[in-house]
Amino acid sequence: MVAKKSPVRPDVIRVNDVSKRFVIRKDKSLKERIVNFGRSSKHKDDFWALRDVDFTIQAGTTVGLLGANGSGKSTLLKVIGGIIQPNTGSIERRGRLAALLELGAGFHPDLTGRENVFLNGSILGLSRKQTEEYFDSIVEFSEIEEFIDTQVKFYSSGMYVRLAFAIAVHVDPDVLLVDEVLAVGDERFQEKCMAKIREFQKEGRTIVLVSHSSAQVEDLCSRAVVLSHGNVIFDGDTKGGIEALRASFDQ
Amino acid sequence: MTNPAQERATRLASLPFQTTEAISSRPIGAFFRSVKEIVAHRELLDLLIRRELKSRYKDSALGFLWSLVKPLTMLVIYFVFIGQILGAARGVPEFAIFVFAGLTLWGLFSEIIASGTGSIVGNAGLIKKVYLPREIFPLASVGSAIFNFLVQFVVLVGATVVLGQVPFSADIVYVPLGVIVVLIYGIALALLLSALNVYLRDIQYLVEVFILLFFWASPIVYSWSYVVDAAQRTGYVWLMEIYLWNPITVAMLAFQKGMWTAGSRDNVMGQDAAGADIVVQAQPWPVDLNLRLLIAALIGLVLVWICQRVFSRLQGNFAQEI
Repeated sequence: MVAKKSPVRPDVIRVNDVSKRFVIRKDKSLKERIVNFGRSSKHKDDFWALRDVDFTIQAGTTVGLLGANGSGKSTLLKVIGGIIQPNTGSIERRGRLAALLELGAGFHPDLTGRENVFLNGSILGLSRKQTEEYFDSIVEFSEIEEFIDTQVKFYSSGMYVRLAFAIAVHVDPDVLLVDEVLAVGDERFQEKCMAKIREFQKEGRTIVLVSHSSAQVEDLCSRAVVLSHGNVIFDGDTKGGIEALRASFDQ
Repeated sequence: MTNPAQERATRLASLPFQTTEAISSRPIGAFFRSVKEIVAHRELLDLLIRRELKSRYKDSALGFLWSLVKPLTMLVIYFVFIGQILGAARGVPEFAIFVFAGLTLWGLFSEIIASGTGSIVGNAGLIKKVYLPREIFPLASVGSAIFNFLVQFVVLVGATVVLGQVPFSADIVYVPLGVIVVLIYGIALALLLSALNVYLRDIQYLVEVFILLFFWASPIVYSWSYVVDAAQRTGYVWLMEIYLWNPITVAMLAFQKGMWTAGSRDNVMGQDAAGADIVVQAQPWPVDLNLRLLIAALIGLVLVWICQRVFSRLQGNFAQEI
């Protein structure tokens, strides 16, 4: 990507020294907890999913988050999105933020596609009227007209992602967080998404993308952040990022 | 000429940052910030309440009429079996109104607690994917419980009209007061229990047991005069005091005082073998009911604040724990 020659690029996301520790308890029920009371350290594991992560993202950039499985990419994306709270540090963000995490964008399985569009629109800060305005265009983009009144629990994973992506791109987000979801759609839909993402870039929107596809990152991103075991090991251009990622596999 | 990218950049530059911190160190400011955030999402709250009501009886022919079937069945059970066969109605004038008033208010409380406890776990799909003030989910349960309560309340008012017991008296002001106290405690407990239930799923089963138990800890099926009698007969008058520490009991007494006018006067309930009238005295309503309501409400509000703080501490890991 050729960077736009706009002189002012305000920060939209600031990640300040964020650490996140996960505790995995092995005993879930009351009985087990009482039985294991006092010895509880034996029955839980903890590890740092993120360790002192610190960076800033300027408006209009497309950042690729890279890393092996379990390196903390998705956790970082969730922390940026405010979905999980860090243990230490803070996140600052501004503008409307839409997130596409793993499969689906927060749908309620028992509701129909139509109801979920309104629910999601409302979650992302649209009024009912605004959602109504966008509704036809969302359905058209997702290409699931016939199933829009079906409960989403009956959707295939492709349909799910189509609708989720369609909503996320129609709510006029300033920041879009995307976590590997695009791999689920068929090739034609993926192309459509890519075209949409390019359009977003032209409009100066900020995109944070988790991807395992080096080609995709090289193609779309203007900056790469590489994570390994919760630490940022590289932050810079995409070429360097992909090399750093390869190097981290060999460790 | 400006392009959209520049326009966006300028607009973004003027926006304030929203901060997510590890844990806020200013508990009172944080509480009001959360309240502000919930108010900002009221349209969403409304949508979630509708959804909860809609999805509960989805695909059933009678729809929301089902929400009336359970309380009416309970009314029949308590009226016929406890009231007539076991004889509780002999000492309680207008027993049907009395029982239904109690069941209506208790239904509000128990529904808030039961559905509120499961609300976070039940909305895992949303909580894991998007950021929202999570208090919205237990509050949506409260909202749908209020709706069901209002439906039942209309039936209750209808019953007082049919039975000629329309509650026209100054005591009617006790009705909203009782409801408010129940709502305060319901909200506090729903917040606390919904958050705890994420970490310990036993909570939801525990709650069911406590609802069964506490049903009998308030004067719903038996009247307050029975409690006073029992306490004086056995000599354990201090037990009466403990009984009145239960805020739901206080709310229940207020609600009954407002809705059940027959309880506030002496009633002739048939005649004994000698032909003399059996008079059931007016309920010995606690003299300091107003003060008790006020104290219960104030303690409840502090409890709401504490429970919200606990909730916000625990909510940081919801997405991971569900």
